[in-house]
Amino acid sequence: MRSGLKSDIFEKFAALAGSISNSEVEGWKQQGGKVIGYTCSFVPEELFVAAGLMPFRIRATGSLSAGRADDYFEAANICSLVRHCFNKILTGEYEFIDGCVIGGGCDANRHILDNWEKSEARIPFLHRIFFPHSSGILMAQNFRNQLENLKQLLEEHFGLKITDDKLRDAIVLCNEIRDLQKAIYALRKVDNPPITASETIALVVAGYSMPKEAYKADLTQLLEELRGVTVPENKKTVRLMVVGPGHDEPTLCDIIETMGGTVVTDLTCYGGKTLFGSVHEADPDPLQALADYQVIDRPLCPKNLDAHPIINREVMDKIKEYRVDGIIGQSYLCCETWGGELFVLQKELKEAGIPMLRIEREYTSDSLGQVQTRVQAFIETISGGLL
Amino acid sequence: MINIFSQLMMEANKSLYGLTIDPQNASKGPVVLGNGDFFIEIPVAFGCAFSDLTLTGANGTALPTAAELIDKGIETGVGSRMCNAIKVASYYLEAGLISKPDMIITSNSCCDSMTTLGILMNGYKPWADVPKFTMDAPHSFDEESYLYFGHQLRNAVTFMETVTGRKMDWDRLREVCVESNKQRQLLLEFQELKKAVPCPTEPDLARQGTEYTTWTSDRVTPTVTAWLEQLVTATEQRVKEGKGIDGVNEKVRFLWQDLAGSWASGTVLARLQKELGAVCLMDYVSYATWTPIDLSSEETMFTSFGKRFLLEDAMNRQALHTADLFCNDILQIVKEFKCDAVIMPAHIGHRDTNSRMKIVRDLCREHGIPCLVLGMDIWDKRYMTPEVVFDRMKTFFEVSGLI
Repeated sequence: MRSGLKSDIFEKFAALAGSISNSEVEGWKQQGGKVIGYTCSFVPEELFVAAGLMPFRIRATGSLSAGRADDYFEAANICSLVRHCFNKILTGEYEFIDGCVIGGGCDANRHILDNWEKSEARIPFLHRIFFPHSSGILMAQNFRNQLENLKQLLEEHFGLKITDDKLRDAIVLCNEIRDLQKAIYALRKVDNPPITASETIALVVAGYSMPKEAYKADLTQLLEELRGVTVPENKKTVRLMVVGPGHDEPTLCDIIETMGGTVVTDLTCYGGKTLFGSVHEADPDPLQALADYQVIDRPLCPKNLDAHPIINREVMDKIKEYRVDGIIGQSYLCCETWGGELFVLQKELKEAGIPMLRIEREYTSDSLGQVQTRVQAFIETISGGLL
Repeated sequence: MINIFSQLMMEANKSLYGLTIDPQNASKGPVVLGNGDFFIEIPVAFGCAFSDLTLTGANGTALPTAAELIDKGIETGVGSRMCNAIKVASYYLEAGLISKPDMIITSNSCCDSMTTLGILMNGYKPWADVPKFTMDAPHSFDEESYLYFGHQLRNAVTFMETVTGRKMDWDRLREVCVESNKQRQLLLEFQELKKAVPCPTEPDLARQGTEYTTWTSDRVTPTVTAWLEQLVTATEQRVKEGKGIDGVNEKVRFLWQDLAGSWASGTVLARLQKELGAVCLMDYVSYATWTPIDLSSEETMFTSFGKRFLLEDAMNRQALHTADLFCNDILQIVKEFKCDAVIMPAHIGHRDTNSRMKIVRDLCREHGIPCLVLGMDIWDKRYMTPEVVFDRMKTFFEVSGLI
C-alpha cells in the first residue's frame, strides 16, 4: 500500500526493493566497483564498506518458484526463504555479485555454501561465518577472530587493504544510516503515520541494494520531505507490530493494512532488527566493536540462546513507544528457532495483556491468501468492532 | 536359548528405557538439565545427575502412547514442522511434568530443533529463577575450536561450582576420564570386529553401547565397562569362528545415515535383516571416531573434551559440520564396512541433513553406490509407516540388484 506521498526517492526505493539487480548496482559496476552479497543481518556490512565493496543483502524478491533449489534442499523440510534465495542464485539472478559471505545463522542457511560450492553457479569468492549461539566475552572474541579472518580473505582476494581508519569511517557511516532509518521509523509513532509499512520495507530493503553513501544522501532528503508532510486525518486503526525472520516484501503488510490495521513498527531480520543501537565508534579495535555489537549488544537472532530476554525487552519497549495494540508473529514453515522464540514470546505477551497472532507461512506472497481471514479476525477482535 | 548378545542387549535396554522422564526421581545430588548432549564426564565426576530433555522427549516417542504425546506436543503451539522428539519434550515441559532442576545448561548442539528446546527451557517462566548457562558449539573442527569449546566447558564447571557451592574434585574427574577412555576404546574395538563379513553379531549393539555409555545412569561406570568387555570378547569369538548373526543369511550390508529413532530398529531394520538378509551396519550414533582424553594437564583435558564434543560425538559430527565431512564419513563407512548401499532416512526434523540431499545423491552416483532417500519421521511412524519403509527399501534393494 502506498501513502499517496509524492516523492522521487520513494519511487526509487520501491523500484530497488522490487527487483534484484538494479540501476544502482549497474552504475556501481560500470565505474569498476565490486559487489559482495551476504545473507543474515549479523554479517557486518561495515567490513565490506571499509573494503570499498558494495554490500548487497541476498533476498528472493519476486520469486515464484524454488524449483531448482529444491533439488538441493528438501522442499517439505526446509524454510522457503532459504530455498527461494538459493533458487535465485542458481538461476543466475545474482551473477552481478563478485563474492558472497554466507551468515551461518541456522542449519539451512549455513548449507547454502556447501550447495553453492557443488552447484554450477560460479562465484569467485565464497566464505561463511557463524553467528555465536550464546553471548559473552568469549563468544565476541570468537566472532572477532572470524571477522579478522574474513578481513584477510577479502584483502587477499580483492587485492585491497582494510585499515582501521577505513573501518572506523565505515562504522560511522553505517551508524548514521541506522540513525536516519530510526528517525524515519519514529515518524510512525503518530496516529496517522506519513508512510505505510510497505514503503518502510522498501526503504530498508533499498538500503541493502545500493551504495551506502548514496543511500545515506537519499535517506537524509527523504527524512526532510517526510517531516514536511501533512497527513490527512484517517479513521482510527489498530496499531500492529510484526515480529519474526526475514521479511523483505510487502504483501503481508498490505494485507494487514487493507484489513484496517496499521503496521507501525517491526522486529524482523531485514527491518527493525538491523536498526538496533549503534556500533561503538570510540573502540580502539574496530573489529572488536563490530563483534561486540553483533554478539553482545544486538544478539537478536533466536539461534542465540541468550537472545530471548533482549528480544522480549525490545518488543516490550516498542509496544510502549509505538503504542502497539497487537503483535503479528510471522515465521516460515520449518524455521524452528523463530517458532520457539514466538512460542515463548506469545506466552509473555499474553501475561502482559498484548494479543499476538501467530502465522506460519511460506516465503512467496501467493501463500498468503489464507492468512487474510486470520488477520481480519485478529484486527476485529482487537478493535472490539470499533473500526 | 538366550545367547550372550541377547543378554547384553537386554541389560543395555533395561538401563536405556528405564530412564525416567523426571530426573528428580532418579537423582542423587543436584540436577543439571540440558537440551542435549553435555560433556557427561563432568556431571558424573561432580556427583550431579544430568538429564537431557531431548532424549526424554525421544524416549516418549518409544512409548505405546507415542502418538498421543506427539499430538499433545503439537497442541502446545510450538512450530508445526518441529522435530517430534522436541514436540514431546515441549509437552512434558508445558504440562509441568518435569521437576524444577537445580541448574540448566543449554547449547546449540546439535541441531536447530534442540536449540529451540533450549529457548523453551530458558524461557520457561516457572523456572525463571533457575541458574542458566549457555554454550556455543562452533560449526568447525580444528584446534582453535576445541580450545574455544573446551574453555566453555571449563566455565561450565565454574558455573556448577558457583550454583552448588561445591568444588570439582579434579582427581575424581581424572578417574572418570580414565574409565571413559577405556569404554571408548572398547567401542572402537567392537567397531573393528563389526567389519567382518558376515557381520558377527547384531550391529545395533554398537548404538546401544554408545547410548549406554553416554545416556544412562550407569554411564562412565565399571558396570558399563564390564558390559563392553563382554561384548568385545563374545564378538571376537564369533569372528574367530567365522559366524554371522544367528538366523541371518547376510546378503546386503547397508549404511543408515541418520538416527535409528524410536521405532525403526525394532520394526523395519529387524524385519529387513530377518526376511531379506539386509544388515544395517552403521547409523549416526554408532560411528565411533573416539580419541583418548589427554590427561596430562587441565588444559589438555578440556581441549580433548572440546574435540570429543565437537568432532567425535557421533551426532554432533554429522549435524554440526560441513557437507564435506558428512560425505567423507559416508565414503569411509561404505569402504571400511563393505556396505552395498546407503539409506538416507532424511528425518523430517533434521534441517542439516535435508540441506545436503543432492550432495549425497551426487556423491553416491559418482562412486557407484546405490542410494535411497526416504523422507521419514524417525519418531512418528504415522508419517511413513514401518510397512511403507520396508517396502521401499525392499524394492530399492531389488531394483539395485542387491537381492
